[in-house]
Amino acid sequence: MPPQDDPPACEHMFVHEEATIMHADLDSFFASVEQRDDPSLRGRPMAVGGGVILAASYEAKAFGVRTAMGVGRARLACPGLIVVPPRFHAYSEASRAVFALFEDTTPLVEGISIDEAFLEVGGLRRLAGRPVEIAARLRARVRDEVGLAITVGIASTKFLAKVASAVAKPDGLLLVPAGTELAFLHPLPIERLWGVGPATSERLRSRGILTVGELAAVPGNALASMLGRGAAHHLNALAHARDPRRVETGRRRRSIGAQRALGSRPHTPAEIDTSLVALVDRVTSRMRKAERVGRTVMLRLRLGDFSRLTRSHSVAEATAHTPTILMAARALLESSGPLIAERGLTLVGISVGNLVDERAVQLSLPFDAGSSGALDAAVDDIRTRFGTGSVTRAVLLHHSPSLEMPLLPD
Amino acid sequence: MKFRCERDVLVEALGAAGRAVANRGGALPVLSGVRAELEGDRLRLTGSDLELTIAVDITVAGSADGLAVLPSRVATDVVRSLDSGSVEVSVEGDEAHITSGRFQSAIRVLPADEFPRLAQPTDDAVTLAAADFAEALHQVVPAASADDARPILTGVLMAAEGHGLRLVATDSYRLAVRDLPGASILREGQSVLVPSRALRELERLLGGAAEVTLRLGEREATFEVGGVRLTTRLIEGEFPNYRGLIPVSHPNRLTVGREALAEAVRRVKLMAREPNTPVRLGMSSDGLELIAITQDVGQAHEQLDADYAGTELTVAFNPDYLLNGVEVTPGDEIVLDTVDAQKPAVIRANGGNEFLYLLMPVRVS
Repeated sequence: MPPQDDPPACEHMFVHEEATIMHADLDSFFASVEQRDDPSLRGRPMAVGGGVILAASYEAKAFGVRTAMGVGRARLACPGLIVVPPRFHAYSEASRAVFALFEDTTPLVEGISIDEAFLEVGGLRRLAGRPVEIAARLRARVRDEVGLAITVGIASTKFLAKVASAVAKPDGLLLVPAGTELAFLHPLPIERLWGVGPATSERLRSRGILTVGELAAVPGNALASMLGRGAAHHLNALAHARDPRRVETGRRRRSIGAQRALGSRPHTPAEIDTSLVALVDRVTSRMRKAERVGRTVMLRLRLGDFSRLTRSHSVAEATAHTPTILMAARALLESSGPLIAERGLTLVGISVGNLVDERAVQLSLPFDAGSSGALDAAVDDIRTRFGTGSVTRAVLLHHSPSLEMPLLPD
Repeated sequence: MKFRCERDVLVEALGAAGRAVANRGGALPVLSGVRAELEGDRLRLTGSDLELTIAVDITVAGSADGLAVLPSRVATDVVRSLDSGSVEVSVEGDEAHITSGRFQSAIRVLPADEFPRLAQPTDDAVTLAAADFAEALHQVVPAASADDARPILTGVLMAAEGHGLRLVATDSYRLAVRDLPGASILREGQSVLVPSRALRELERLLGGAAEVTLRLGEREATFEVGGVRLTTRLIEGEFPNYRGLIPVSHPNRLTVGREALAEAVRRVKLMAREPNTPVRLGMSSDGLELIAITQDVGQAHEQLDADYAGTELTVAFNPDYLLNGVEVTPGDEIVLDTVDAQKPAVIRANGGNEFLYLLMPVRVS
């Protein structure tokens, strides 16, 4: 991190010195998944819902269609609105795929909901570049590999990152550089602050407080008499961009995975297998680096018609052993062979779940002897010393060694 | 059908048969019932989920023979709620009347002709002392797997061994082997794989009984204890070849008081707070030291007097697996044989050869 100039003014004392927190938020998530999967919906005002609107496309939002609005009212606002029933399975599948990309970007991911998360990308500069570059790459991968638009706000605090993504929507990227937080925040209307709903907004507006800057100028006591002490304290802190909360990853991750878009041209089984080998190799070496072992191997596929499927299998003993995981992954791939032959394959992903700490592994009785971790350990050691591409599997020779961005330890 | 009997006797019989009754009947609704068949003064109550069948014979004061299927849960709850004393049960049409004192109830019965026919066992029978067989089950059954994804390991292998019967179970982390010499029930080389669930039920029935009669067939095994007959379908498939896993030589041998070790493991394992936190056994000529450490929580050590012959070695084990092995090994002293920190360890009674507990270590780094 480059040295900062003068220490920030006291107002900034809770502000991080650098903007490294990303808020990534999928645009009109449910509606975008529908438009992705059904080309006839693209570019048209449409919404997902039954009795009420669950999500509206940007085209529909332009007519004033909003989430939680009754369908009848929405049709009045937007004649010709197409309303499709929700397909929650498709949404959670898309969400999983996007979160896999989040986790591939940084180990510090705090999910907030099915379609948004905070990512801490500080400390990745040497590996992956500046936060803006990381965010641009993430947006491109979400578009290419999952087929959805995602907006990213980057700032020094979680709150500002979220405001930035809201301002940048749709399909945008906005950085609030460190040191410019207040300049960014103060012109915004007070409704942008967390905790300012219709009632608070009304109360503040009736006193002529319209912008965050005006709110920040109100002395704490006066604000407390308007809103009560708790709310006043909270809003005062936000208006001064004070938000010391860190990106919380919660418990250690339960799965490690990687995926790769294959493009839409036809692929031979050998090509697909080569991708699988590369992915398994990558995932297992990440697991070993993180000292984690897992039992459940999950194969994730996107077919040529954009349908998705996942297959999983649990092996007998938690492992990070490349051949064992590869064998399970190949068996899963084989079971999907007819579907792939019929519809084509555009993305393959592999993840290993049910992870446990490798530093204490209950060994199994060697009913089927012959699996040894010695080769993996030797390969990891050489890669650590001479670089990732120094040793590779024979099928991966003459393939670009790594299309993926480097990673922090898991 | 009509009979009269003591409430306590009927409660116990309904409860025993009811343990094999399928939850909510599964695919066959009639299986949520207990089949009751009265012949003279003999009442036979049968519960089954097709895998496991428990039939209980009791003596009652019968006044009209007959056959009915009573809904298990309701009938058991009603009879259990009664005061001790005489209960009368009579079935007329599609209702069973349960009467006691001034209490009366009428319960809709299930269609008796839908209850599956259960074959009489014809296989050769052998009778063993119930206490010995109960002890063997107590030693072996807990080592069987509870993971239905690996059905073979949920079974207990019963195999002819020498002139006796051998019981083996493993969940792939530990393996328990018990020999019952003299109990020659199977032909040499013959073996069956009995679901551990059935054997857990059998264990409950064996308490206080004098004898148990075994019939091991091709597809079913039957056990008779007093007036109770338990029949279970066998598991099909090949049990793992465990013989090659039992180490033939043991460079390191620890000899330690069984109860002292069990007590120490119970105390020390309180500090193994995470699911896969092991207890470490440090073995040296000074004796045995047990250690459990959970990061950010705490740690516990305990030093035990023990004889140790071998090279200084620390081996880590899952504390529950270790404790189970120590608890079910007979005798006052046990020996723990180890090769190294990653090979199977063997627990036996000092000087005893009828029981063996093979335990895989936890690899720590």
